[in-house]
Amino acid sequence: MAIDGLIILDNTGRAIAQSGFHSFPSAYPLLHIDALNSALANSPRHTDVDPVIYVQGLNLDTPSACCHIRRGELRYLCPVSGDVDPLYAFAFLQTFVDILREYFGHLSAETLKDNFDIVYQLFEETLDSGGHPLTTSPNALRDIVLPPTLLHKVLSVAGVSGLASSSANSHPFASPIPWRKAGVRYNNNEIYFDVIETLEAIVNKNGQPAVSTVWGSVDSNCKLSGTPDLLLTSSNAQSLMDCSFHPCVRLQRWARDKVLSFVPPDGKFRLMDYRFAPATASAVSQAAVPFILRTGVAVDEHGGSIDLTLSSRLTTRTMENVYVELYLGEGATGANCLASHNASWTFNPKSQTLVWELKAVVPSANYTFRGSFTSTAENPRPSRAFSVRFEIPQHNFSAIKIEQLKLTGEVYKPYKGMRGTSFGNVEWRW
Amino acid sequence: MSGQGGQDAKFFTRGKIQEFRAELEAAESKDKKFTKRKTVLKKIVANITMGNDMSPLFTDVVQCLGTPLLEIKKMVYLFLVCYGRQKADQLHLVIPSFLQDCNDRNPLVRALAIRTMSYIPTPIVIESLTDQLRHCLKDRDPYVRKTAAICVAKLYTADPRKAEKGGFVEMLRDLLLDTNATVVANAVAALSEIGDRQDGVIFKLNLTVANKLLTALGESSEWGTIYILDSLLRYVPERHIDAEMMAERVIVQLNHANSAVVLTAIKVLLYLMNYMENRKLMEYICKKMGPPLVTLLSSGPEVQYVALRNILLIIQRRPSVLKNDVKVFFCKYNDPIYVKLAKLEIMYRLAREENAREVLAELQEYASEVDVDFVRKAVRSIGRLAIKVQPAADSCIQALLDLIETKVSYVVQEAVIVIKDVFRRYPGKYEGIIPTLCEHLDLLDEPESKAAVIWIIGQFANRIDNADELMDDLTYTFLEEPTEVQLALLTAAVKLFIYKASSDTTKALVHKVLKWATEEVDNPDLRDRGFMYWRMLAINPTVAGEIVLAEKPAITTDADRMDRGALDQLLLHTGTLGSIYHKNPETFIRNATGKALADSPALNPLSRQVLVPASRPNLPPPAVVVPGPGPSEPTSTGAVSGTLVQTDGESPQNGSEASVANGTNGTNEANGASAHLMSTSASQETPSNEGDDDDGMVSPPASADPYAGLDNAFGGYMADEPRPQNRNLLDMI
Repeated sequence: MAIDGLIILDNTGRAIAQSGFHSFPSAYPLLHIDALNSALANSPRHTDVDPVIYVQGLNLDTPSACCHIRRGELRYLCPVSGDVDPLYAFAFLQTFVDILREYFGHLSAETLKDNFDIVYQLFEETLDSGGHPLTTSPNALRDIVLPPTLLHKVLSVAGVSGLASSSANSHPFASPIPWRKAGVRYNNNEIYFDVIETLEAIVNKNGQPAVSTVWGSVDSNCKLSGTPDLLLTSSNAQSLMDCSFHPCVRLQRWARDKVLSFVPPDGKFRLMDYRFAPATASAVSQAAVPFILRTGVAVDEHGGSIDLTLSSRLTTRTMENVYVELYLGEGATGANCLASHNASWTFNPKSQTLVWELKAVVPSANYTFRGSFTSTAENPRPSRAFSVRFEIPQHNFSAIKIEQLKLTGEVYKPYKGMRGTSFGNVEWRW
Repeated sequence: MSGQGGQDAKFFTRGKIQEFRAELEAAESKDKKFTKRKTVLKKIVANITMGNDMSPLFTDVVQCLGTPLLEIKKMVYLFLVCYGRQKADQLHLVIPSFLQDCNDRNPLVRALAIRTMSYIPTPIVIESLTDQLRHCLKDRDPYVRKTAAICVAKLYTADPRKAEKGGFVEMLRDLLLDTNATVVANAVAALSEIGDRQDGVIFKLNLTVANKLLTALGESSEWGTIYILDSLLRYVPERHIDAEMMAERVIVQLNHANSAVVLTAIKVLLYLMNYMENRKLMEYICKKMGPPLVTLLSSGPEVQYVALRNILLIIQRRPSVLKNDVKVFFCKYNDPIYVKLAKLEIMYRLAREENAREVLAELQEYASEVDVDFVRKAVRSIGRLAIKVQPAADSCIQALLDLIETKVSYVVQEAVIVIKDVFRRYPGKYEGIIPTLCEHLDLLDEPESKAAVIWIIGQFANRIDNADELMDDLTYTFLEEPTEVQLALLTAAVKLFIYKASSDTTKALVHKVLKWATEEVDNPDLRDRGFMYWRMLAINPTVAGEIVLAEKPAITTDADRMDRGALDQLLLHTGTLGSIYHKNPETFIRNATGKALADSPALNPLSRQVLVPASRPNLPPPAVVVPGPGPSEPTSTGAVSGTLVQTDGESPQNGSEASVANGTNGTNEANGASAHLMSTSASQETPSNEGDDDDGMVSPPASADPYAGLDNAFGGYMADEPRPQNRNLLDMI
């Protein structure tokens, strides 16, 4: 159970940084980079490359696999040569990306090059040369690898002498809790929860949803002193299904009482993920899609026409940033459309997609979109479904609310804040 | 940050060895805060990462090791790791510094020192490492202990016998009882790494240690949790109750946020279920496993892909896991193709009478999509659905006919291919649609679909009025056709002749084709078959007719399922590369050791029946498998030619009989090589599609080699499944 190392590629497929592959031939990482680049080149769509690529070894007896992900403009590769869980590789890659984000904010080839020494320190601390992850909790990492901003500040103000880490008054790894560092102090003790829910749905031609699921997650930003032990009770907890939690949450307690009992890490972390299943009488409960799309698509020779009407099913809330997209098929050359309510539309000739963009969709209004498109293909084959994305601020499908936050172990009373946002990602077939 | 940002990028300039050396020397004086040294070292490290050889600076850089600044130490160590092995003759210069750092006040330095030493596996370093490591394994600081634990695995890789003699394995074992969970987890990781080596000591857990490890689960990091859970596969429960208790403690891990933890927990549960007796608990576990698997599907496409490949295996062994969740696998049109194909396969496997209508509606939707590969698979799946779920067959056939009306060439071809199988599954029921098929002959240009329609014409020549005309047209290009089509034409011509022996055209036709096959074609398969038919027809046409048109065994979808023993074994690799490729890892990973279910009094009797011993790698192949002649039929080998071959004794085995015979002495070698050729058609028994396999009769191992049927487990439909590419190696198994 160990991965071989980690490689970061820029968007042209060149390596920016890579961990030490000391126990491998020096060509080994190159082999993987080449394998990925040629797989990308051979595939019509970049997203269609298998996430686990088989890599033929230099000599035939050492095959290996290359797990890769793309985040932003960068690609992260994780060569694997033993019988390892690819999810393990993917989980590590994701953790590493999260750490980089935590350290540098926006990630680009430039940022990583500018801070290469920190990137290399992170490689060293998160992954040993045998491929075992070492320290990946941001709380513990910050003690041994100083984030760039803090590092420069400390260096310029204090003028470091002696060991860099001694600037932090606490000793690294002194904390008995692996995810929380010891001796944290804040003037204002506050904790914020962001509840983000995403509706994933497929709606059939008849307007009935074939599948509709709400996935939710609770992101938290914790600024609490000492070692606070929290007990969070929420309304509607019964309808949260399939939960998965940050390791800090006491799982037994949740299983018994449906309350969250935990000692939070310091700073930002994801507290939990869940699926929302509305408690209704019927056995199969599905979340409702909050809009109706009436579609009329006709395809002729070398083109076609589109006629859409969108209306919201919500009673008070406004849907924002609604995008309705349609892939017009190979050979589509242009479109000419008319949208009501000053909504805008665009046609992207590169991806051959038509996008109807509505800044706000208020309840009880009909938004219409009419137009035609042209194509060089004799029988254009547009995709069979519209993809609709939207967001609803200050709203949650599950209507989850924090009822109470009890704190033990410390004497102060924390300020708690909660905010909800909902997103939607609906495929509407015509 | 951006203000400071640009400054490091300037280090990425190609530097000269001489310059660096001079700068390092200059840095030795008037360098109070070591900033000069730091700058030079940064430049050197930047050059290393650009791939420039900095090894000539070895002696100069090593001198910086005494600097009491962790940042500098780290860079020097990085340099040492890169060039240590190259400069083995100079390493003795570094040893004193290493030893000093191993006894530093700061635990970070101590850990860094032993870690770096373990990365440089030269005799001189290893020599001094062994002593230091012994101390560090008992260090009072957990950070040092956990680093030391991993270093033992490195030491073992460098010199196994030394590590064993030095008692390091025992020391690791003692660390399993450490108070710090991270130390425990790393000790487990190190022991597992050692245990996975073919020459390593065997790492097994007993009940006490396994329980102790479980208590450490609560406090370990996510990676530690994975190591510990994975190591539980090394524990063989002796009593049902042990397995059950352990499973109950593992279940909570299904709620972990890390997807790898979840999948490893599922692997452990699947393993423990082999040793359980309590049906209620097993059902409960199955019910608990479903939701986390579904949750994995809300993650990125990469995680989805791994999850889907594993779900495919899991639902074959434990069909109840996601029984009611087929909707979760409905595809979105902008899913990546690899996700779509995997979902499609799972949808087919989850299809039952209750959800067949929904599934069919989805499949029809997919059949109108843009992506050719996906559409083809969707059309095939409609046909497979018809074969699998009898009550849905009517509507599936109607759907296929609708698709044929679209006249899209690749849709029609796929439809024809599956309809041929449908005819065989439901003889005498749907032949009415043959005329519709014949109308679209001109759209067929691929060998497989052509062969399929030719088979249909030959088989039902008595019902097609203009069969002889059609055959005459089709044979027009006989000599240019690929072998697959030629074989089909040959057999169809013979069948046509037998049906309509009196007609002059058919007589002329069969004569023409036989003459071509025997005289003008180089392919020995074709020629041999030509001769065989010719002789049969010459000696006794009536008997020939009986043989060629003999009743065919109805096809089923059973061969879609993997052999149970192989499945049990693959599930031990849940989540690993093996489960992605659906191959046992020792067949494609060098030095991988096979895993096998271990026998114990608690092992479920049906699992024991199909027990596959861990195979030793690189065994010579037991027999050479020659693919039978004739048009390739996905679900049973050689249907047309099969009728010729199968008559000589080796009739498909009756499942229940065979399992009694085999059940007593496990994998029966006697089934041997002859069964090998027929491995797919031999498993004709009815499996219990609902409920766990534990309930039903277990299929007899089709052959001595449990993986012989593996490739056919997907009935040839998974042409696009991911798999290692070095086929020559894989085809031998």
